[in-house]
Amino acid sequence: MSGAAPDPFATALIRPGRSRPDGRRKVHPLTPFVHGLRVVPVVVVIGISLVTQGRHEGDGAAVLITLAVALASALVLSGFHYLAWRRLTFWFDADGDLRVDSGVLTRQERRLQLSRLQSVEVVAPLLARLVGLAEVRVETAGSAHSKAVLQFLTTAEAQDLRNEIVARAAGVRPDAGEAPEQVLVTVPPGDLVASLLMRGTTVLLLLLTVGVIIPTVIAAGPAALGLVVLGGVPIFTVFSEFSSYFGFTIARSDDGLRLRHGLLRTAHQTVPPGRVQAIGFVQPLLWRRRDWVRVRINVAGMSRDGGSGEKAYTEHTLLPVAPWPVARAVVAHVLPGVDLESIRWESAPTRSRWRAPIQWHRLGVGWDDKVLVTRRGRVTRHWAVMPHARTQSVRVTQGPWQRAVGLASVWFDSTPGPVKVVALHRDAAQAHELALAQARRASTARAGDRITRWAQPPA
Amino acid sequence: MPVSAALGRSRRISLLLAYVLVLAVVVVLFLVPDVPRVLAIVVAVVAGVVFVWAWWLIGRRVRAWGYELRPDDLLVARGIMFRRLVIVPYGRMQLVDVVAGPVERWCGVATVQLHTAAATTDAAIPGLVPAVAAELRDTLARLGEQRAAGL
Repeated sequence: MSGAAPDPFATALIRPGRSRPDGRRKVHPLTPFVHGLRVVPVVVVIGISLVTQGRHEGDGAAVLITLAVALASALVLSGFHYLAWRRLTFWFDADGDLRVDSGVLTRQERRLQLSRLQSVEVVAPLLARLVGLAEVRVETAGSAHSKAVLQFLTTAEAQDLRNEIVARAAGVRPDAGEAPEQVLVTVPPGDLVASLLMRGTTVLLLLLTVGVIIPTVIAAGPAALGLVVLGGVPIFTVFSEFSSYFGFTIARSDDGLRLRHGLLRTAHQTVPPGRVQAIGFVQPLLWRRRDWVRVRINVAGMSRDGGSGEKAYTEHTLLPVAPWPVARAVVAHVLPGVDLESIRWESAPTRSRWRAPIQWHRLGVGWDDKVLVTRRGRVTRHWAVMPHARTQSVRVTQGPWQRAVGLASVWFDSTPGPVKVVALHRDAAQAHELALAQARRASTARAGDRITRWAQPPA
Repeated sequence: MPVSAALGRSRRISLLLAYVLVLAVVVVLFLVPDVPRVLAIVVAVVAGVVFVWAWWLIGRRVRAWGYELRPDDLLVARGIMFRRLVIVPYGRMQLVDVVAGPVERWCGVATVQLHTAAATTDAAIPGLVPAVAAELRDTLARLGEQRAAGL
């Protein structure tokens, strides 16, 4: 980077990944082995359970056989992944879009339009992290095919690639480097543990675990070790949520929000400005005394497909747990100029108790000139915030029972995600009016909206 | 605007086709000696009543469908028992499909299906004459392009 560069967009300036003479880059050569090693723990666990169940003579030989099988399968898998590694190349084309060529039998050439970038994530799964590697996940708006996962680069290369993608999407020099950030919130581990324990589902899971393990050990003795492993699954899910949310940090920078979290598998995600489609708050019953909420978001392109279960829930979480004032402060950064406190709630009519006897007096909807807010739920409370410009469509629905008492619900459709924006059980005439008014507000807000190439001055 | 009455015809034909199967079951019930005659009669009567009710309901449901092209968005209304009204801004439409099954094609109707970035949008207009459907698709595509907005 020393000296003058005549072409600011020349890709020769920086080159994360192993590059080839034709300017294409490759992922790290250790990648096939990391993929291969992933199978070892599985084979070892199966081997151990077989050995403990069999309990014949010659345990030593059995251990040896298990290890040999594990190594052999790791080698075979590495071989397949070596072929895939040879085919996988990625580069930035003349338009500055990310191109990925891959596939051994079915070849695939993918082009990701970076002006439609929705999120970039640097993820280090435990095994890759041990050898200093990480993967880069890029998601753009569109179908399930509009994303790419590049496995694996060294941590520094992954970080550089992430910076380059974000810089290109923002419309600044690709070697602009990482924008400075300002840390907004770090979730203390104590709060995280307490919040996970203070949930109905967790309590239920723990009871289930105890309920499975104790009778099993009493009835079958230590021989039923395999069943105990099975009974441990509920505890494991709680732990995996803890490990995934561990050290959750939100930072703000010019290239958007940065979310970092993870104990064993670390993730570092960037959501560019204006990509948040809707924000939801959830407050389970036991969190109410501490005034805690969980904040979740809808982001276009953060699809659930192809991900492990763990991935599905972390990607949609903006804050695993935080007191209301902190959550509100974060929302003020995500949606600048929005003051949730000042929005007036319009409650559902009293007769909605005939349709929703428990939650009727919690139902509400409100709006100002930027966002629409809804609330629902009595035991577990839900709130949702949606900028008018992000409204995809508006629906009014009315079931037979609702019609009998003159009610209707209004749904404000957002991109797929955990946040549901709905004004339940409004007065039927009012619901119709609300839907048409929201369509008008959305149309006005869209006219003044600009989210692509956010760092460039308006054309 | 209402949808074509041919939609009712196509739905009734589909109903008839489904009832060929029901009729077969009823006939079998009458023929198998182990089945009590009363049971077979009850099944036949229930099937008949359901048929008449469904036949009548199809007409009402077809008349409940309607759509309107407004300056900035498309309105689609439907349903009698479960009423729905969908408002889709033209700028939010990601793609417009025209779909027609075999029975629909035979009766000369097609469905225009709209998709936005939200999976829950659920906006479709069935029962359009193919020419009208194609024209509506082109109109929607043109309006969508004019008002296209970033996500």
